[in-house]
Amino acid sequence: MQKISPLRSSIEAFNKFRATRLNKTNKTQQADQKTQTNPFGITFKGTVIQMDVFEKAEKASESTKNPISLKEKMQNTGKLLASAWVGTINKFSSLKTNAIAFGNKIKDSTIAAAKKIRDFGNTKVEFDVFKYNVSRLQNKPVSELKSMLSSELQGVTNEQ
Amino acid sequence: MNNRRVKNIIEALGKHKDEESIEVLNELGTNCPIDEIREMTSKALIRKNTHRALELMIVNKGKGINDLSARVAMCAINELLALKDKQEAIKILDDTINMHSEKEVQDTARSVKALMSFSS
Repeated sequence: MQKISPLRSSIEAFNKFRATRLNKTNKTQQADQKTQTNPFGITFKGTVIQMDVFEKAEKASESTKNPISLKEKMQNTGKLLASAWVGTINKFSSLKTNAIAFGNKIKDSTIAAAKKIRDFGNTKVEFDVFKYNVSRLQNKPVSELKSMLSSELQGVTNEQ
Repeated sequence: MNNRRVKNIIEALGKHKDEESIEVLNELGTNCPIDEIREMTSKALIRKNTHRALELMIVNKGKGINDLSARVAMCAINELLALKDKQEAIKILDDTINMHSEKEVQDTARSVKALMSFSS
């Protein structure tokens, strides 16, 4: 009878365990593959064909049938870059026009406001409201009121 | 004519506490050739309801109730009738009826007094 060392027995036990583990994982993988749905319903030797299989095949065929040259690739990237550049220019130009329009609008409104203020300053009536207020006039000395009234009456008589 | 300014100044003088304001109104307002201003002045003076102001409007010929313009005179009479305290006005009217040298002024004062006694 062969004497088995404890190290050897443990290695064997580990190998067994690994083998059973691998079997189990293979089975679960196969089960998963079978349960996966395929929109095309194509099977190959009983197993459902995966999406990556199609992709791979397509890519491979394309690459084999119609290989894109480096020059073409460069041209394509150039076109893409050009279109992107044009888009950016358009964006910037629209932003520029918007900014100019906004500035003009502000300028116009400021000018209008300034004109209004100037007109407001020119109209005597607006200031008369404060200057010729009865309660305000009452607090003024009589001599001042006398001079004011005489000047106003002079103006009135001259008008008539 | 800027009526509003003149009106406000006359109104302010009418409400002014200084007695000097009566003299200013008498000097500038009652002697003004414009009826409208004389009208405003007589209103302001009567509203003051002081002896001096009422005397100017009742006793003087050609001013207040004795104004040559019927409109100004009627306005002054209306203002007298609208007074809350008519005591001073009636006293001056009595004195005018009894002591004034001009018959025309006496008659006017008599008529106004009659109106005032009816209205009160």
